[in-house]
Order: sequence, then C-alpha cells, then structure tokens
Amino acid sequence: MAAVALKNQLNAHIASMFAAGFLDKQFQELQILQDDGSSPGFVSEVVGLFIDDAEKITGLIAGLLDQPVVDFDKVDALVHQLKGSSASVGAQRVKLSCEQFHSYYEAKNRDGCVMALALLRNEFYDSRSKFQTMFQLEQQIEACS
Amino acid sequence: MDRRRIRVLLVEDEEIHRVVARAVLRAAGVEVEEVENGAEAVRRVRESGAGGGSGAYNLIFTDKQMPVMDGHEATRQIRAMGVATPIVAVSSDSLPPDVQAFITAGANDFTPKPLTKEKLGHILAKFGLA
Repeated sequence: MAAVALKNQLNAHIASMFAAGFLDKQFQELQILQDDGSSPGFVSEVVGLFIDDAEKITGLIAGLLDQPVVDFDKVDALVHQLKGSSASVGAQRVKLSCEQFHSYYEAKNRDGCVMALALLRNEFYDSRSKFQTMFQLEQQIEACS
Repeated sequence: MDRRRIRVLLVEDEEIHRVVARAVLRAAGVEVEEVENGAEAVRRVRESGAGGGSGAYNLIFTDKQMPVMDGHEATRQIRAMGVATPIVAVSSDSLPPDVQAFITAGANDFTPKPLTKEKLGHILAKFGLA
C-alpha cells in the first residue's frame, strides 16, 4: 500500500516537472528505453552523468569568466557541451538557459555572461533538486518492494 | 553483408551521449562499436579493412567537437581511404553552416543531438538498413 502511494507521488512529481518545463519529451524517451530494454537504473545513470557534467562545466565557465582576459571561445565550447548534455536527458530549462547564453559570449560581453551563468546555475540547481527528489522516491519505492 | 546484422561505429567523446546513443541503437537491434575521437575512428575503419568498400560497418555516427581529431577531419580522412560507408553527423551544432560543413567533409546526413529512436528509424530507412 505504501509503495502504491509512493508510486503515485513519484508520478505526480514527474508530471509536475513536465508541467513546469523542467523536462521535455527526451526524458520520456529515456524512460521508454529503460522500460523496453529492461534496464533498471538507465534513467538514473543518464541523469547522474548530466548532473556531473553540469557541476563540472558551470565551475569551469565561472573560472573562465573570472580571468582578466576571458577566452570566449572556451566559454562557447563549454556552454555548447552543457547544452548537449542537458538535451540528452531532457533537462529543458537548462538547455534553454544554454541557448540564451549564446548571444552574450558571441558579443564577448563578460557582464552578460556572468548574468547568464547565474541564471543557468539557478536552473540547474532547481533541476538537480527535482531530480534528487525523484531518486529519493524511487529508492523508497524499491525499499518497500 | 547480412541485413539483419547491422553494425554501427559510434564516434563520440562525451559519455552521456554515448550512453544514450548506445541504448537507442541496441534497442533497435543494432551492434555498436564505440570510439572516443576522430583519430580512433579513422584507425578503426582502416583496421576493419574497409578501404574501397562498405567495410565492416553499415553506418558511422560521428560527433563534431572531439579531442585529438574532430568529426569533420575524421570524415575527410575516412572518405580519403575510399570508404563508402554512410556517415551521419550527430551534433548539437545544427545551424545550416554546421550541417554544410559536415556534408562538404563527406558526410551523407546530419541529425541534431540527441539520437532518438525516431531519428534512428529514419536514418536506417534512408540507407536501406531498416
């Protein structure tokens, strides 16, 4: 009974992530691959890789923007990498933040990049928190069964 | 080559993209070999004895930005070996100049990341592998 309630809670949590734009259809694609391939943990693996990528990349971008002379080409490459990583997991809000970043590094606008990074980090931290709640619910369901 | 046994070379340096693409390809029943940069891809194709023919692979998927050798250069070098295997670029850079650069290098097609079941289905059908 507890497991059923937790599953309902998990489904509602994921639905709310879609409704709030945290996730897009790519996340459903991952869920289908997990279910069809009988690969428990596949979604968690991809989300984990995304979180590791995003933590590392946002740190590297912050370091570049802190230099006296900013290497905007490197900023470009890193944002590009994070955009791809977020697209792979369906982290839509992070992906959109990466796209918004583009105009600032193209214009070599350091202040704009600093602001865009702050927005990107906010979106990432919110997304990460939602994913962590999702994993906690999954672990609780597993413990019940 | 046996049509039921489709072999793909996946050229991708980032783990998250390899993990997702591998799952998509395996779900479609495709055998996958993976390398992490363009130079490894060129070596793998050369060692597969692919010169002048379709070689050991039915299809090659390649990323653009990679260490050691990028996807453009790998595509050029594979074509220079006389390899006719279809090469499909998979990249987050999907503006027309990005696509054209890959086509100019010798790629047959382009699809934006991430690879999905639907995109793979279209690609396999396009190259007679469905």
